[in-house]
Amino acid sequence: RPRSESSLCSPGPGGVAVPRAGLKKYVLPPDYSGITFPEKTKLKFMDKVPAVPKVRREPRQLRDIRGPSREATDFIQGQYGILALGGGYLHWGHFEMIRLTIGRSMDPKSMFAIWRVPAPYKPVTRKSLGHRMGGGKGPIDHYVTAVKSGRLVVEVGGHCEFGEVKPFLTQVARKLPFPAIPISRDGLQQMRQEEEEKRLNNQNPWTFERIVTANMLGMRKYVSPYDLHLKGRYWGKFFLKHRV
Amino acid sequence: APAVKMAALSGSGAPWRRGWLPALQLIRRGSKAVTRHWKAMHFQRQKLMAVTEYLAPWPAIPPSCLAPRKEAAEEDNGYVRLLRRQVEEVFRDNRMIAVCQYNSMPDEDVVLMRYYLRKHNIEVKFVLNEIVRPVLSQSKYKNLLPLFVARNILLVSPETKAKEMLRVLKGVPQVNLLGACIDDTILSRQGVENFAKLPSLEASQGQMVGALALLPSQTSSLLQRGSMHLTALLDQHIRQLQAGETGSPAEPTPAQSSGAH
Repeated sequence: RPRSESSLCSPGPGGVAVPRAGLKKYVLPPDYSGITFPEKTKLKFMDKVPAVPKVRREPRQLRDIRGPSREATDFIQGQYGILALGGGYLHWGHFEMIRLTIGRSMDPKSMFAIWRVPAPYKPVTRKSLGHRMGGGKGPIDHYVTAVKSGRLVVEVGGHCEFGEVKPFLTQVARKLPFPAIPISRDGLQQMRQEEEEKRLNNQNPWTFERIVTANMLGMRKYVSPYDLHLKGRYWGKFFLKHRV
Repeated sequence: APAVKMAALSGSGAPWRRGWLPALQLIRRGSKAVTRHWKAMHFQRQKLMAVTEYLAPWPAIPPSCLAPRKEAAEEDNGYVRLLRRQVEEVFRDNRMIAVCQYNSMPDEDVVLMRYYLRKHNIEVKFVLNEIVRPVLSQSKYKNLLPLFVARNILLVSPETKAKEMLRVLKGVPQVNLLGACIDDTILSRQGVENFAKLPSLEASQGQMVGALALLPSQTSSLLQRGSMHLTALLDQHIRQLQAGETGSPAEPTPAQSSGAH
């Protein structure tokens, strides 16, 4: 990048300093030594219905959307990925969209992508349109995968930079049913560090966690018992990023 | 528990009479915990969320009052070190270093100028200010720093041929001499012109030797002047006596005069 030297040759009265180029500093190319490619670089096709379809209809159990994720929170093989910042269900249409968009935008010789979510396993029932309430539970309509906030959906890696990968990952992230962002390994680490710093240098002496665990002012009457470990950062399926 | 619920539902009277559990009754009301839409929070909970918001720390002195931190440029670039070493060698090995302002010239004119200067063993070097400035500031050539601003070139030579250099530069209007450092002496443009007008080193050395040898060469003649004068006077006197006396023997008087020396 040329550097202008107008600070050295400041113009005298009635003169104009012409910026000149200084010495070019060459940047070394990135080092891709420790990267192993999987056998198939493109995303696997996910089935609409699992191989053994479920017979028994399952209750709704929305708790698989609530709260932070316990699995697939860190990178395994790839360097960049899509991080979910909210809870939601991914169905087969979403899987196809992700698979086709990433497959179209990446170069299978120099990049690879892997799924970090399982194929749809949870059956969702729907009653047929236009009927009154009652008459039992409806039949299974489709299958979905539950995703909690803080989980990685796909991972992308290979001989590529974040700038190359970011455009199509943002394109995919916008179309997901929950808020999501493209992120790299460094970005994730930085995000966690920032959260930790925020928690430590918070000037407010009153924190949600402190008030609820001590049941100050009888707050536990208006707050769920789950909020003891959700600590005010989660509300339903939403993840409140701005809260400490 | 279901029995209690049925009892509470069916009872038309006050529900607290038949074992009414408020925790169970409140669950029936409203939507579930996890909804697709943003569930409305209880007002008390809203107040709690408002009270427990994040407050960022602020520094004791506002950052606009502090001086901006200048991050020192890293010099572990090997290429920069190489260029600096080259500049140091140039200043060490050459007797004459002239700094000229360089305006953009056609390339063929640059080549011609370099050729003519090469004939007089003067080399043209293009240097970058950001490399030369730190090198000069740490060496003894600190006073040359004001010259290294904007685009410039160095004309270096192990001999000091200022006259030829000025003649070549006169033919090139785009290169202007700013100053020179000849034999560790910093000269301005006027100083270089005066230096060029001086005779060459050998001639001036010869002049100096001649001027110094002038007085000693006169010493022997000065010392012999008295006796030479006396000799000349006596010779003249002899000639007068010889011219006066024609027949008398002139031997004793020349013998006396030669014995007097």
